[in-house]
Amino acid sequence: MNVSRRDFLRTTAAASAFIAMGVPFSWAAQDTTDKWVKGVCRFCGTGCGVMVGVKDGKVVQVKGDPNNHNEGFLCLKGALMVPIIYAKDRVTQPLIRKNGKLTPASWDEALNFTAEKFKQAIKTDGPGSVAYYGSGQALTEETYLVSKIWKAGLKSNNVEGNPRLCMASAVGGYVTTFGKDEPCGSYDDIDAATCFFIIGSNTSECHPILFKRIAKRKQSDPNVKIIVVDPRKTNTARIADLHVSFKPGTDLAILNAMAYHIIDEELDNPRFHSKYVTFMDNEKNKLTFDDYCKFLQDYTPEKAEEISGVPAATIRKMATWFAESSATMSLWCMGLNQRIRGVWANNLTSNLHLLTGQIGKPGATPFSLTGQPNACGGVRDTGGLSHLLPAGRLIANKAHRNEMETLWGIPQDSIHPKPGLHTVALFDAMGEGKVKAIVMLCTNPAHSLPNVNKHRKALAREDTFVCLIEAFADAETMKFADVVLPPAFWCEREGVYGCSERRYALISKAIEPPGECRESIHILIDLAKRIGVDPKLVDFKNSEDIWNEWRKVSQPTPYNFFGITRDRLRKSSGIKWPCPTEDHPGTNIRYVRGKDPNIPADHPDKYFFYGKPDGRAVIWFRPYKGAAEEPDVQYPFVLTTGRVIDHWHTGTMTMKVPELKKSFPSAYVEVNNDDAKRLGINNGDQIKLVTRRDEMDLPARVSDVCRPGLIFVPFHYADKLINKLTLDAFDPGSKQPEYKICAVKIQKV
Amino acid sequence: MTDKSTISSKKRSKPWIFYGSTIFFVIAISFYGYYQSAFPETRCEYGMPHLESPDSASDCYDCHIKSTPKIAQDWYESKHGVMLVKCFVCHGQPDGKGSVPYAVDPDVNATCRKCHDPSIKMMEDKYGLEPKCNDCHPFHNNSLHHEAYVKTKSKKTID
Repeated sequence: MNVSRRDFLRTTAAASAFIAMGVPFSWAAQDTTDKWVKGVCRFCGTGCGVMVGVKDGKVVQVKGDPNNHNEGFLCLKGALMVPIIYAKDRVTQPLIRKNGKLTPASWDEALNFTAEKFKQAIKTDGPGSVAYYGSGQALTEETYLVSKIWKAGLKSNNVEGNPRLCMASAVGGYVTTFGKDEPCGSYDDIDAATCFFIIGSNTSECHPILFKRIAKRKQSDPNVKIIVVDPRKTNTARIADLHVSFKPGTDLAILNAMAYHIIDEELDNPRFHSKYVTFMDNEKNKLTFDDYCKFLQDYTPEKAEEISGVPAATIRKMATWFAESSATMSLWCMGLNQRIRGVWANNLTSNLHLLTGQIGKPGATPFSLTGQPNACGGVRDTGGLSHLLPAGRLIANKAHRNEMETLWGIPQDSIHPKPGLHTVALFDAMGEGKVKAIVMLCTNPAHSLPNVNKHRKALAREDTFVCLIEAFADAETMKFADVVLPPAFWCEREGVYGCSERRYALISKAIEPPGECRESIHILIDLAKRIGVDPKLVDFKNSEDIWNEWRKVSQPTPYNFFGITRDRLRKSSGIKWPCPTEDHPGTNIRYVRGKDPNIPADHPDKYFFYGKPDGRAVIWFRPYKGAAEEPDVQYPFVLTTGRVIDHWHTGTMTMKVPELKKSFPSAYVEVNNDDAKRLGINNGDQIKLVTRRDEMDLPARVSDVCRPGLIFVPFHYADKLINKLTLDAFDPGSKQPEYKICAVKIQKV
Repeated sequence: MTDKSTISSKKRSKPWIFYGSTIFFVIAISFYGYYQSAFPETRCEYGMPHLESPDSASDCYDCHIKSTPKIAQDWYESKHGVMLVKCFVCHGQPDGKGSVPYAVDPDVNATCRKCHDPSIKMMEDKYGLEPKCNDCHPFHNNSLHHEAYVKTKSKKTID
């Protein structure tokens, strides 16, 4: 055996350290589980399949599901999920706030008290005074059920959830461009793409397993090009052939300039766009290709360089790669969505695909990534937002309302015709005392809302009744709850998650919930009955019943997944809709004849964008628009927020895992090297961040990740709520707030 | 070798405890001396962070690029490094209070199987061996891009 001196010493040191610390050598290999139960990871929108190892009724191990899209791989969060289930501060019994303190109560007490508050609010202030605020982490069945209870039962359209903060612009983008929500491609496109255009997404840290798949693709073929467009040089940029940093908020100009170059160099695909595309301006006037060229004259790469700071040559290079590759896949996430023109940014990305015909072929697709595990399947599809009804139907559309009224068995024209309040408006209304009672499920708005001081005031109002269904006692929103109901968590009950690629997969029940915890669907059904909702509307014994009704509701629409029966979900590791019949294998590519079951086999054209009346997708003329709060002399820096790989959202789960907690134990502010030098900031110095809303001290991390003029703060930390500083200006179309950009000044403390 | 063993067998009676402990102390002191002198300017700000202040064990890489540069850099360049499968996912945390058993050589069943179960099963079926992944696949050296990609420079430059 060849042991170098250093190796030997190192081993000796490790062994003595081991002995010194008294680490037990009896770590039993946990391979003796009683059973492995199939599920889906609790964290991001990638939706990896997991196998939950159970021994003596307890979860002891988690591993990747080899049959799901992740092929058995998990990221560091997914691999370390077990301690979360057994966290000490799980809420295990109902609590009612008495004299300012949350005190244990019985289920009857808590539910009756909540129901009373709801009845009272509806009686005195009308159905518009009650609301629901949910989450892309709730099960599909839960959100569908809530949507039905509120919209059909209580006649209130105030059904919102955190997907409004995360996905609404992507919904707006897809609907305006293609007529129907959700991506047209799937993760399988990653294996076939030859160019990746990643814009506004730190895939590496936010969707690690997809990043792994992209890297694997790059490894299998070094000619594959990866473009990462992000003002931060994140870990995603490590595998990029081209990392393009730009002035935050100027991406609309860059995207238009790419379109300009594509046309200028005749890299577009006239056969495709002349046949399958409508050109439209902001006023929805149908225009021509020539009008589009004229519109783009304002966005020559040189003009875009002036706006964005990206050299014109780089813009040309990106556009050339995008158009000349045999299959280009664009991926984006919050960088495009959380913006006051998020819908436009989404449109402009899809424009590039429609212009070049990079769509509907394996590897060629515009693909929006989701932040939460069930925002797509659970909220966007089931209509869990204030303007939606299930399966892409709209509240504002009378025919859609009438169809849902028939399906739900309620009188015609009984659903309120006006969309409810969107998230920011909902909490604003709460602040004005107009929303009297709210149920919150599986989300932590007192931490996650933008400009959160304002909304915490609303939640704190004496006359606002907050019922929170929450598993973890350390969630910030607990401070504002009047009633807390303990739900069964993750694999303690059965239900369906739908991830970014339209894939529905089942989380099977692996263990019994602790204490008095109940499945959220039973909490909601019980509550609805006590408020006085017609029991026929909520006549479900279990989540399978709800799933079966939801399948039927989807059947008359292009979302059709009637064929995804519960039995199939139990056997498989997820199926992608549309899936109209039980023998249909699921759909990888939409809008293409022979691939999308919504298009008849004898349809005359290969592509058919059936979501639009004329069957054509839209290339939108979207002008450049900057951020709501641009930096100025007084507040010269841009503050952006986001995730680190080790933590997830408000940290109520990942902070329970010792390794993850220690990996990033506290908040920090990322500052560029040059800025730091100029301001005399060293690593670890306390920095004061001041925005027009609030201020906060944070330790500095000096690096080259942020571009000069930009600072970054992760939003996971309850003791440093960076959302106190962020701005709640929102996109007028999607109503999604602009978390990603606000003006800030920084100074050394 | 033969000579040495003959000598030791001759003198095996009482004094071996004395010699044994002397050798142990010599090794311990020389290791301490070596460690102090080998990386004079690369000691972490926290000294031995996991032992002295467990709460500061934030980014293993930050310190280990100084204290064990080869291992840290191997990880950084490896597939695990690019994918940010960080040290604690396999090694646990040094105070042993984490959810993963703390081990220099991680247990295959407790760690590797979380992601590589299909491959491990395949190897078991093929060779009927108890898996010891690290023997043939040194994790820290499994680079992502092989020749297909120019090796990335470290976040911190090693001299």
